[in-house]
Amino acid sequence: MSKLPPVVIDNGTGYTKMGFAGNTDPQFVIPTVIGLPNKSRYGIASKRGIEDLDFHIGDEATKNSKAYGLDYPIRHGQIENWDHMERYWEQSIFKYMRCEPEDHYFLLTEPPLNAPENREQMAEIFFESFNVQGMYIAVQAVLALAASWTAKNSQQTLTGTVIDSGDGVTHVIPVAEGYVLGSSIKHIPIAGRDITGFVQQLLRDHGETSIPPEDSLEIARRIKEQYSYTSHDMANEFLKFDQDPVKYYQQFDAVNSVNQHTYKVDVGYERFLAPEVFFNPELVSSDFLTPLPDVVDTCIQVSPIDTRRGLYSNIVLSGGSTMFKGFGKRLQRDIKRIVDGRIKKSEDLSGGNLQARPIDVNVIAHKKQRYAVWFGGSIMACTDQFYQFSHSKAEYEEYGPSICRHNRVFDSLA
Amino acid sequence: MCPKVEAGNTKEVLLNPLVVSRNENEQVLIESSINSVRVSIKIKQADDIERILAHQFTRFLMLRAESFIILRRVPIKGYDISFLITNFHTEQMYKHKLVDFIIEFMEEVDKEISEMKLSLNARARIVAETYLSQFV
Amino acid sequence: MILLEPNSYVLEETLLARFNSEKHEVVDITLVDFDNVIYHVQTQAEQRNLLTLGVEMKYFNEVVQYGANEILQREYGPYLSSSASGQYQITLEFNLDSLPEDKAGLAKHVSMLKRNVLASPFVRAFEYWESQQEGAGPLMATHYREDEAIYVQAQQDRVTVIFSTLFREEVDRVLGRVFLQEFVDARRQASIQNAPQVFYSSREAPLEIRHLPGLKQDESVGYVSFVLFPRHFADADVREKTISQIQLFRDYLHYHIKCAKAYMHSRMRTRVTSFLKVINRAKPDRTTATSEKRTATGRYFRPQFRQASASPQLGGESEW
Repeated sequence: MSKLPPVVIDNGTGYTKMGFAGNTDPQFVIPTVIGLPNKSRYGIASKRGIEDLDFHIGDEATKNSKAYGLDYPIRHGQIENWDHMERYWEQSIFKYMRCEPEDHYFLLTEPPLNAPENREQMAEIFFESFNVQGMYIAVQAVLALAASWTAKNSQQTLTGTVIDSGDGVTHVIPVAEGYVLGSSIKHIPIAGRDITGFVQQLLRDHGETSIPPEDSLEIARRIKEQYSYTSHDMANEFLKFDQDPVKYYQQFDAVNSVNQHTYKVDVGYERFLAPEVFFNPELVSSDFLTPLPDVVDTCIQVSPIDTRRGLYSNIVLSGGSTMFKGFGKRLQRDIKRIVDGRIKKSEDLSGGNLQARPIDVNVIAHKKQRYAVWFGGSIMACTDQFYQFSHSKAEYEEYGPSICRHNRVFDSLA
Repeated sequence: MCPKVEAGNTKEVLLNPLVVSRNENEQVLIESSINSVRVSIKIKQADDIERILAHQFTRFLMLRAESFIILRRVPIKGYDISFLITNFHTEQMYKHKLVDFIIEFMEEVDKEISEMKLSLNARARIVAETYLSQFV
Repeated sequence: MILLEPNSYVLEETLLARFNSEKHEVVDITLVDFDNVIYHVQTQAEQRNLLTLGVEMKYFNEVVQYGANEILQREYGPYLSSSASGQYQITLEFNLDSLPEDKAGLAKHVSMLKRNVLASPFVRAFEYWESQQEGAGPLMATHYREDEAIYVQAQQDRVTVIFSTLFREEVDRVLGRVFLQEFVDARRQASIQNAPQVFYSSREAPLEIRHLPGLKQDESVGYVSFVLFPRHFADADVREKTISQIQLFRDYLHYHIKCAKAYMHSRMRTRVTSFLKVINRAKPDRTTATSEKRTATGRYFRPQFRQASASPQLGGESEW
């Protein structure tokens, strides 16, 4: 009889990914939202029963949003409302995953720079409410690095720079030997949502009047996901499209969600302009103007000097908004250009006396990028080390929640 | 200077401890010294459920001792929860408000535990009835 | 969510996603159900249209004696694969190219697999009752979890179901007792007088199973007996519902113990917040004193550290 697989839950700001370890994809990807009855403004004293079981999570919450008020328990990656989060987990486990938590180990994730108190709270909930056998709290960026180990050109180290771009925000997080370099983390206020909005704007601009306004965001999102690619050079790409529109323009068949009529949408420049937003942020933003390659470069330059080579040579992509075709290649080229430029400059300044060893720049793209954090967790939880490094129920009983303040870092795939 | 009531090695600086007791199960022990006071409370626990609830609750509070400033992380033996008030606390905070807090705490703890017990019973009843009514 | 569903939602969703996908991808998915049941959903690279569902079920050998195979044959006959390979006790095979119209219905039906298999001792007992034989029927034990078992026995006028329950934690044991007491007392309510009778005993095993060897007798175990009367299983529809409900008893109980603990946590959090308010009143209010300070040029003077703590760590630098 084989052992029951650990449960891997990655609670993100927008979406929660959950599934059993060993699988390549999460079983459920649902919005991190909880729907509570509108009348639930009751005080604590009036609770005489089981009103607290009347709630929905995920898509069901959004579906029932008329009778149930929505609350997002996670803000900016951090858990803000523990009461709601605890109930969110309760239903995730018993309804969605359908498992008895007493029989399983759990792997949970946390954002970089999470306060140790939050880890203690998590431990308190999982050990005391759910009686889990053991748990491990992993840093999301580290899991994203682990997820890239399956890629062909991966070096399988826990040193690298993670570019994590989801729906709301993009982070650039340097990690050295499994530890996040907190002071060097950079944020970019551009992510999936902004790109979708940009595509929507472009479609409107070139007169796609057949798109009904209520479907427009959804159509934009699908066009973004299906047709976008990263070009080598924006100006060149415009030229190509203008010279041979037939070859480059594509048509998207859409169905009106209200009357079920089909219609066609021409997809043109937005194909390469969507990912271009990362490289030329002025397309969508008026106050944030630093291109992604520059941000990555600065991020690595402010990290400790002995880690920089490692950080350049292992730049890992994670999250849905890094899925554009050719995104990794373009990023690699641009960063390489910046780095080489700097080396050349210093060589020139030395008057040719100094010869620098060239710096490797590698951007690693892989198949599991979209749910990289979850996938990394799924791999980790399958190793023998996972059980060694997890905090067990017995340890918790003996030392209390403070044991979860520290989680040992995985160093190899067993 | 360390709180003398904790060190307890110099008899001269300790005052006579004081026990305020309603009955065997509800007691407060106040130990004082020249620079610190220790207040320990024994919470009423009539049965298994109240014992568990009191234990859970005090544990929950003591894990958050940091924010409660005067709360001791571990209770004195034989008691459920202890507070340690040092001269630094009384210098920086209002004494009468600290007293208010301890009084409020003692009042509320009993109330909270009996309320939790009530709501637990109510909950169990609904759960059982809902389950069994499926068979009707 | 008060009641638990009899079927496995995650299995249903996973199967449906496979059934509906146009491309036949190679998959290897492991899923779990209550009480140590493991599902493997797989397709082989050579035969992409063939989806197999392997089920690991520890207690399958026990329920086979009570007719689990017949039930499987009846419910999943066309999909049942005879090649019961090594680790799987049950194997179903689906040809993705020739699925029935109602794919959702099939997925739902398959997701009831564990329920249907575990139904076999109950079905057997109800049939014994129908046969109107003299005396008590055989005692059917199913060790569905480590250290926990369900015993089913038919009598002439009723069917007794006994759950041996085990609480590892002291808190759970106390809470569990509160819940179980309510199960016992619930029948006093007029509205559910027709519900099965419930008895609970800790330590002491009930008469029906007392003769069994190897029963644990200490604080952590308890025995819950349900007495089902003919009105709970005479009618075919009611019978199915009864089976679905009764076999989830343990999971239901433990789910609610956990929910109660979660609820107590949120109560305690509220209490902590209100206590913190009281203790914070004891701190002299220093904020008003300093925020009024101005520099010589008339600007407000604010110490550096305050600003740093006022803006959240994330995205803080963009603001100033």
